[in-house]
Amino acid sequence: MAFAPKRPQKEINYEEVRIYTEEELHNYTEEELKNFKIKHDIPALEDLEKGPWPSFVADAKREALHRKKLAEGRTMVDKDVVDDLLGQLELSFNDGETHWKHGGIVGVFGYGGGVIGRYSDVPEKFPSVAHFHTLRVNQPASKFYKTGFLRALCDLWEYRGSGVFNMHGSTGDIILLGTTTEQLEPIFYDLTHELDQDLGGSGSNLRTPSCCIGKARCEFACIDTQDLCYELTMHYQDELHRPAFPYKFKIKVDGCPNGCVASIARSDFSLIGTWRDNIRIDQEAVKAYIAGEIKPNAGAHSGRDWGKFDIQKEVIDLCPTGCMAMEDGELKINNAECNRCMHCINVMPRALRPGTDTGVSILVGAKAPILEGAQLATLAVPFMKAEPPYDNIKELLEKIWEWWMEEGKNRERLGELIQRKGLPRFLEVIGVPAAPQMVKMPRTNPYIFWKEEDVPGGWKRDIKDYRMRHKR
Amino acid sequence: MEELKKIILEFAETSKKTKFYFKDLEKAVQAKMPDAKSREIKKAATELVNEGKLIYFSTGSTTMYGLKGRGITEDQ
Repeated sequence: MAFAPKRPQKEINYEEVRIYTEEELHNYTEEELKNFKIKHDIPALEDLEKGPWPSFVADAKREALHRKKLAEGRTMVDKDVVDDLLGQLELSFNDGETHWKHGGIVGVFGYGGGVIGRYSDVPEKFPSVAHFHTLRVNQPASKFYKTGFLRALCDLWEYRGSGVFNMHGSTGDIILLGTTTEQLEPIFYDLTHELDQDLGGSGSNLRTPSCCIGKARCEFACIDTQDLCYELTMHYQDELHRPAFPYKFKIKVDGCPNGCVASIARSDFSLIGTWRDNIRIDQEAVKAYIAGEIKPNAGAHSGRDWGKFDIQKEVIDLCPTGCMAMEDGELKINNAECNRCMHCINVMPRALRPGTDTGVSILVGAKAPILEGAQLATLAVPFMKAEPPYDNIKELLEKIWEWWMEEGKNRERLGELIQRKGLPRFLEVIGVPAAPQMVKMPRTNPYIFWKEEDVPGGWKRDIKDYRMRHKR
Repeated sequence: MEELKKIILEFAETSKKTKFYFKDLEKAVQAKMPDAKSREIKKAATELVNEGKLIYFSTGSTTMYGLKGRGITEDQ
């Protein structure tokens, strides 16, 4: 389905919005860089440059030199902001503790998120990073960019900020690291009016939804992740920008159970593409894999000789539910037992493909270890169709929000609330019947409390009669 | 809506803490208007932010509301 934007899309012409000339952008030589020293001694940080991997310290030094060589008035934030950033980090390395304070009353008008106040607690030593606020920019679905947009964003951030980015933060946003309070509104204006891009979520908001690369480039995608992510982002603008949740809430969309955005581990509301019919099998291609005519794993892991492909050892025996077998030269799959581990499909993508009756599995409650420790998501809805305008998904999401906003304590994530109130209560809220598969060990878990209405025929219990026979 | 805004401002002016969670705001409003829905309370709070009477206070992970001019008023 062709992409249908909800509002006119602006084509960014870099030449029209650029701030710096080519000479300004390439204003130092590699020779100058070799001899360049920032204004603080940073031996601990420079040690990080010695390893085999590219170092952020080396990148930051380039940026420090670049800014130093720009003419006066060509940056709105101190030119030596990167020097002070590295200097403060060196101090933190030596002291073994941070020198950042975070939070405060900074933001852009009408938005309760997208800007996070950062302040140095040693501004007398590092005055250029005394105010060093972070902005989160809502990334496009699957992080597809045109170079013109990226160049324009780099120019804007060089001019009104530190020039230092984080591509991308773990929620998915582009993170602009370090600017002053005075620059926040001008940046927001330029970002929205010139670059047609919004701020992302922070604080007690819906955080910027994110998705895998989806049908744009991946044959495994069971759903149009980009469309769903865009729809949820646009539909829930109020939740994204005006905070009223007990705490953060993350939505991530994976196109298939391979889970390339790891929604199962990183989002309160995880949507994972799946199918409810059968895995499609091309028996001729299966034979071609067995005969060694097609490389397994699409040629990945080919750095060493693994020997001849052995379907029994490398696929059938590794199936976690044991639902595959070769019978009379044909691969058979007991689809009812398949738990969507994706291994067979990943190994033999030419022979096996997800089914065609596709939708999403919805899992809830994952989080990183802040209060109660890390937690993976719990399967709440095994299958739901996922077609525009996704009203069924929105209806479920809003039911969950309503309950969480009512029952959740301040700073309590959805997963923690479900733990506190119990999965049965959560299932009542969303109107989904309990299934044995939701309990890890149904026959040994003692924390199942039956209600009388759950049991056919109910029961009668006379506590006095019981106590006559069982003393306290 | 005006009634909601009035109750919110009263709470913001008199609450013990100068910064409060949305949930605290909601409880304060519902103590006086039990039928008030959280969506309406949020709309009223948003209007007050847009009018410059309430401010957001964010730590990055959590967002709180406050009365402009009360408690921490500077950038820090």
